[in-house]
Amino acid sequence: MLSKQRLLNLAAALLILGGFAWLCVAVFTSLKDGDWNWSRPWEYRELLLRGWRTTILLSLGALAGSTLVGLLLLFGQRCGLPVVKWTCRLFLEFVRETPLLVQLLVGYFVIFAPLFSRTFESWGWNDKLVIGVILLSLFEGAYLGEILRGGVDSIPRAQWDSARAVGFTPFQIQRYVIFPQALRRVLPALAGQFVSLIKDSSLLSVIGVQEVAYQVKAYTSQTYGLEGYVPLVLGYLALTAPIAFISSRLERRFHHET
Amino acid sequence: MKLSVTSLTKHYGAHVALQDLSIEVPTARVLCLIGPSGGGKSTFLRILGGLETPSSGAVSLLGEALPESADGLLTHRRRNGFLFQQFNLFPHLSALRNLTLPLEKVHGQNPTEALSTARAALDRFGLIDHADKLPSQLSGGQQQRVGIARAIAAGPRILFLDEPTSALDPEMTAEVLELIQELAAEGQNIILSTHEMGFARAVADHVAFLAAGHIEESGPPSQVFGNPTSPICQRFLSRVMRY
Ligand SMILES: Nc1ncnc2c1ncn2[C@@H]1O[C@H](COP(=O)(O)OP(=O)(O)O)[C@@H](O)[C@H]1O
Ligand SMILES: [Mg+2]
Repeated sequence: MLSKQRLLNLAAALLILGGFAWLCVAVFTSLKDGDWNWSRPWEYRELLLRGWRTTILLSLGALAGSTLVGLLLLFGQRCGLPVVKWTCRLFLEFVRETPLLVQLLVGYFVIFAPLFSRTFESWGWNDKLVIGVILLSLFEGAYLGEILRGGVDSIPRAQWDSARAVGFTPFQIQRYVIFPQALRRVLPALAGQFVSLIKDSSLLSVIGVQEVAYQVKAYTSQTYGLEGYVPLVLGYLALTAPIAFISSRLERRFHHET
Repeated sequence: MKLSVTSLTKHYGAHVALQDLSIEVPTARVLCLIGPSGGGKSTFLRILGGLETPSSGAVSLLGEALPESADGLLTHRRRNGFLFQQFNLFPHLSALRNLTLPLEKVHGQNPTEALSTARAALDRFGLIDHADKLPSQLSGGQQQRVGIARAIAAGPRILFLDEPTSALDPEMTAEVLELIQELAAEGQNIILSTHEMGFARAVADHVAFLAAGHIEESGPPSQVFGNPTSPICQRFLSRVMRY
């Protein structure tokens, strides 16, 4: 039985490997001279690195921004005032039911650029970058807010009761009992969301933010070389893989605590 | 401990949990609430403990009216201890931290004081070896004992226990009841609800039988268990005492 399964596994491995090899051969033989020249990325390293750094900056900015938006939406939805609650809900639904690309185009060209570009430029800020961070923060923040809300809602009633019984104030209940537990529960989802955020930042090239995907497109149109996409893939993996790794470590550490 | 309740009513929306409940307990160390499930024991305890507010009626405990404002209720909760049937402990904190956190943040002790108070409380109940364990690493009985240690660490005026052993097997039930009896013997004021009739009879100074949101019978255990007058109480007792 076991050896049969092993045999099947081997066959599957061969099949997959064969398929992959065929794909590689097909791709590489279809490449023309000049498509694949590894001296060029080195020449353009400044450009690519600049793009990659902008991606990091953008991601960090949107990480902070979306956390803020997410928390605001979390508290807004738990707020006693119905108007605030429903405004948050409406915003959430709107953000989650329209594509990010459309939000970026409308948000930039219709709303933010006409209203704020001048001001930002007069302050010496890169207006595209700042507006990009804001738009990405709003989008990712909406998802983050839902994740956080799910986490808080998943804390059993007994914990609220116990926290009240020991004499915590409403703020202390959140601070010491609810939030730490909710955070542990949503950690994997949160990490997934931050990985999405980094990947989604590539869309900001449509409003002209010069992040790494934008720069690789510029590179490719200047050199007609396709090798630029390799550093592009690696550039994103270098940012997202560590988050996935750290998240799975933390998840294992917190696992036994709930 | 003196307790006096007149016409206490509590409803949740249209649902009535306590209906015109009155009881007079002139003096008692340990007050036991017994009665069928859904009779209103938990609701009554939660009101006495300041976790819930009455819909109407007057409650006076230790000679003082129960506070009505949010601040007053917070103070009330801080001066008393409360233990639920289960899931009392904060699962992300060690047993020790479950005790020190409220001591520091609620009772204003500095970390060193809190640590020695907490260790003393755990030690007293033979739990010091479990101080650094998480609640999930403790048995149900140990969890309840740590819960009681947390509830009494700051020296509460009254300790409220809502069916503290209902989720436990017989052996763990015994270890928790022993601890409660010990506290009672040391003079701790206790109000508890329980299905352990033998325990109520042995430890309580005063027993109240609650059914359908109403006190049906109230008095010293010898009277409530030996010579109940209310037919509902007689029926309940004869049924639960049969086995
Ligand atoms: N939060 C609540 N919302 C609605 N009904 C409740 C709530 N708490 C208790 N009740 C109802 O009040 C009645 C008394 O319940 P409870 O005090 O828990 O009784 P006991 O503890 O004696 O079993 C029950 O009918 C119960 O369904
Ligand atoms: Mg109950």
